[in-house]
Amino acid sequence: MERILDITLWVVLGLHLLMALIVVWRVWRGENSVARLMGLDLASTLTLAVLVIVAMLRQNSIYIDVAIALAALSYISTVAIAKFISDHKVF
Amino acid sequence: MTLIAQSIALFFLVAGTAFSLIGIFGFLRLPDVYTRLHASGKVSVFGVVFLLIAAILLTPLSAWKGLLLIFFVLLAAPSVSHALASAAYKTGIPMARVERDDLKGKLEKSGEEG
Repeated sequence: MERILDITLWVVLGLHLLMALIVVWRVWRGENSVARLMGLDLASTLTLAVLVIVAMLRQNSIYIDVAIALAALSYISTVAIAKFISDHKVF
Repeated sequence: MTLIAQSIALFFLVAGTAFSLIGIFGFLRLPDVYTRLHASGKVSVFGVVFLLIAAILLTPLSAWKGLLLIFFVLLAAPSVSHALASAAYKTGIPMARVERDDLKGKLEKSGEEG
C-alpha cells in the first residue's frame, strides 16, 4: 500500500507540474489581459496543489503553512490586479 | 497507518487530480473569458480541496492547518472569480454567445460610485 501511494504521489506531482507548464504557456499566448490574469491565478493554484503534494511526499506538514501563505498572497494579488484592470486605480 | 485511511486518501488524491485535469482542459478549450471562469473555479476548489483532504489523512500534524487552508481556499475562490468576471465585463470583453445580458444598460449609472 505504501508503494502504491508513493507511485501515485509522484505521478500526481508530474501531472500538476505539466498542467502548470501548459497554463504558463497559455498565459504567454493569452489574447487579453484578463485571460492572462486568470492564467496566473490558475498557475498559483496549481503551485499550491504542488506544495500540498510535496507535503505528502516528504511527510512534513511545514509545506502546508507555505501553502497557506501562498494562497493568501495569490488571492490578494489577483483581486488587486483585477481591480486595477477594471478601474485603473486600486484604492 | 491504517489501511483504510490510506485508501481513502488515495481516492481523494486521484479525484482531486481528475478535477484539476478537467479544469485545466476546460481552461484551454472554452471559448471566452466568462465560460473559462467555471474551469478555473473548479480547479482551485475541487482539485486543491480534495488534495488537502488526502494530505490531512496522510501527513502527520497537518489536520488543523489543512482545515484552515480548505476554509481559506473555499472562501477565496468565488471572490477571485467574481473579481475577474467584473474586470472582464468592465473592460468590455465580448461574450462568445450572448443569451442574456442583464447588466448591459445598468453599468454606466453604477459606474460612478463603483
